Amino acid sequence: MAKWGMVIDLDKCTGCQACTTACSMENNTLPGETWQDVLFYNAGEYPSGQMKWLPRPCMQCENPSCVHVCPTRATYKDPDAGGIVFVDWNKCIGCKYCMIACPYGVRFYADEKPLIEPDIRDVFPGENAQLWSPPYQSPDEDWRRGIGIQPKGVVSKCTFCYHKVKNAPEGTADLDEDNPDVKEYVPACVRTCAPKARYFGDLDNPESHVNQLIGDKHGVRLKDHTGNKPQVYYLGAGAGVPAFTPADRENDA
Amino acid sequence: MTTQQHKNALQGPLGWGLLVVAMAVLLISLGYAFSQIIANGHTSFNTSSALPWGQPIATYVFFALGSSGLGLIASLPLVFGFKQYYPIAKRCVFLAFALLISGMIVLALELGHVFRMLWVIPANLQVQSAMFWMGAFYALDLLFLLWKFSKLQGGHWDSKTAKQVGIASFVGVLLASGNLALIFGMMSMRPFWFDPLMPVYFYVTGITTAVAILVLLTYLAYAFKQTRMPAPLQALLTGPLPKLFAACVGVTLLLIAVRAITGLYSNNPEINVVWTDYLFKSGVYIAALLIGLLLPFVILLSKLRNSMGIQVVAALLVTVAMFAERLYFVVGGQVVPLFKGTWIPDLISYTPSATEWSLTFIGFALCFVIYLLGEKFLNLGDMPSQMIDHTTPRKPIEATA
Ligand code: SF4
Ligand code: SF4
Repeated sequence: MAKWGMVIDLDKCTGCQACTTACSMENNTLPGETWQDVLFYNAGEYPSGQMKWLPRPCMQCENPSCVHVCPTRATYKDPDAGGIVFVDWNKCIGCKYCMIACPYGVRFYADEKPLIEPDIRDVFPGENAQLWSPPYQSPDEDWRRGIGIQPKGVVSKCTFCYHKVKNAPEGTADLDEDNPDVKEYVPACVRTCAPKARYFGDLDNPESHVNQLIGDKHGVRLKDHTGNKPQVYYLGAGAGVPAFTPADRENDA
Repeated sequence: MTTQQHKNALQGPLGWGLLVVAMAVLLISLGYAFSQIIANGHTSFNTSSALPWGQPIATYVFFALGSSGLGLIASLPLVFGFKQYYPIAKRCVFLAFALLISGMIVLALELGHVFRMLWVIPANLQVQSAMFWMGAFYALDLLFLLWKFSKLQGGHWDSKTAKQVGIASFVGVLLASGNLALIFGMMSMRPFWFDPLMPVYFYVTGITTAVAILVLLTYLAYAFKQTRMPAPLQALLTGPLPKLFAACVGVTLLLIAVRAITGLYSNNPEINVVWTDYLFKSGVYIAALLIGLLLPFVILLSKLRNSMGIQVVAALLVTVAMFAERLYFVVGGQVVPLFKGTWIPDLISYTPSATEWSLTFIGFALCFVIYLLGEKFLNLGDMPSQMIDHTTPRKPIEATA
C-alpha cells in the first residue's frame, strides 16, 4: 500500500488561495472551516520586513498526536488508505481533545459562531444531521472517514481527498494532474494549483516524483520538533514560520 | 436529631429556603442552556476551532479537582488516622460526590455527543488517551465515594471493609485527578501546560479549593454559629483545619509563582507571552492572585485564622480565585495561535458567552442542591460515637494552635 504524501514548493506558491477555494468547494466546508488554508504572516521587521505565506493542509502525520489523544478511536490513521488520518463521524463525541493536541491547528468543530454574516447555515439550513445543506453537494459521502458535509457535534479535517485518491490504480507512484490517466484522482488543492506548487505521490516509492523532490530539494516538515512527522513536506524558503510575536511588540527587539 | 444544641441549621427552615433558591437558579439556568443549545447548538458558545476549550471545561476542572481535594481531605481521618478530622469526614465524602456529579453534568452539556460517549468509549478502549483514563478513573472514584459514604451512613467508621474502601477511594482520587492533570500536562504542543509535575499542581490546588468550599459550607450548616457545633468540630475549626487552609493557599501561591517565573524567564512565546500579555494583563487574574489568594494567605498566617468571620471571608475569596485560576489556566494554554496567523498576529480573545455562564451556574446550583439535600436527610455532621457524646457536654477541646 502506498503512503500518500504531499510536497508544497513555497518558491512557486503565489498565495492565490485557489487551493483553499477548491478544497471548500470539493468538500462543502463552511466559511472558516478551512481544511486547507494559506496563512499570511510578516517575517522580519521594518525596514526589512517581508510578507510571507504558507499553505497549510492537515499534515496526515506519521505519528499523529490527534490520534493518540482521541478517547473513542474516532480519529484514526488508516495504513490501508495511504496512512491518511480520518475522523469517524459515527464515533466522535465532540470532546475536542484532538484540536488541543494537533500542533498544526487544522481540525475544525464548525458548530461555532459564523466567521462571516449572514450565516450560510441560516441560508441553507441543515437536513439529515448535516450542519448545513447546500443545494450542490459532493456525491461522495463516507462518515466513517469524515467525508461529506460535517454533521453537528463532531470534528472535521482534511482527508487528502480520499474519495478521489482511493480510485488511483494500485502501484501509482504519483498523482499528477498533468497525467490524463490519473488526473481525476488528484486531490482538489493539488489539481487546481495554477503555479504547480503542489505535488502528490507515494512516499514509500523511491521512484516517485515527490520522493525525488524531497531528496533533491531538501524537503522539510513543518514544526518537526513536535515529533508528529508530517507526510506533507515543504520546499523552498519560508517553511520556517517565525515564532509568535504580538502585533504591538513586533518592533521590540 | 434529638440534641437541639447541635442542631444543623440546614435541616430547618433555612435549608428549605436555600433549597428553593438553589432549585430556582438550577431550573432557570438549565432552561436557558437547553433552549440555547437546542436552538443554536454550540454557536451559543464563544469557543472556536482556534480556542476549543472554554469556561465549561474550566468549570468541569474546578469541580472535578474540588471533588478530588475533598476526597483527599476525607482520607486524612479515614485512611491516615488523623482523628481530629472525623467531624468533617462524612461531609467531605458527600461533598466530593456532589461536586463530581455537578462537574460531570457540566462536561456532558459541553460535549458534542454525550450519549454516544456512553458506548463508544467502552467499546473502543483507547488506552493511549489520557481522557479515556480520566473517564475510567473518575467513574471508579464516583463508585468508591458512594460506597464509602454508604459505609459511613451505616455507622461503619473503622470496620475493616470501611478502611479498605477508604484506601481504594484514596487511590482512585489520586489516579483520577492525576490523569485529569496529564490531559493538560502531557501536551508538549501546548507548552503553557506541558509539565510532568502537573498532577502535583492539581492535587494541591484541588485541596485548596476543597478546604475553602468545606469551610464555607460547614459554617453554613450551623448558620454561622460556632456555639451550635459539636465540640470536636469546633476544635477542628479553631485548630488543624485553618492551619491546613493556610498551608494549602501558601503552597498554591508558591506553585503559581514557580510557574510564572519559569514562564516569564522562558524565551518561548507560547509560555512567555501567555504570562506577559494574557494573565498579567488581566485585572481579574491579578485580583484573583492578590485578593483571592495572597490576602487570605497573609491573614490566615496570623492568629486571626481561628476566627469564624475571617475563615468565611477567606474561604469565599479563595473559592472565587480558584475558579478564576481554572478558567485562566484552561484558556491560557490556547490563547497563542498555533501559527502566527493571518495578517494581524494577536492572542485569541475569549470571553464566555451567556450560555457558557449558564452551564457554570448549573454546576454551582446543582452542587448546592445535592449538598442541601444531603445535609437535610443524611446527617452529614455525623462522626464516630466515641468522638461525641450527645448527653453530657464535653469539656471544650483546647485549640492546639
Ligand atoms: S496535522 Fe494535526 S490533525 Fe493532521 S494528522 Fe497531524 S496532528 Fe492530526
Ligand atoms: S473530538 Fe472527536 S475526534 Fe476529536 S478527540 Fe474527541 S472524540 Fe476524538
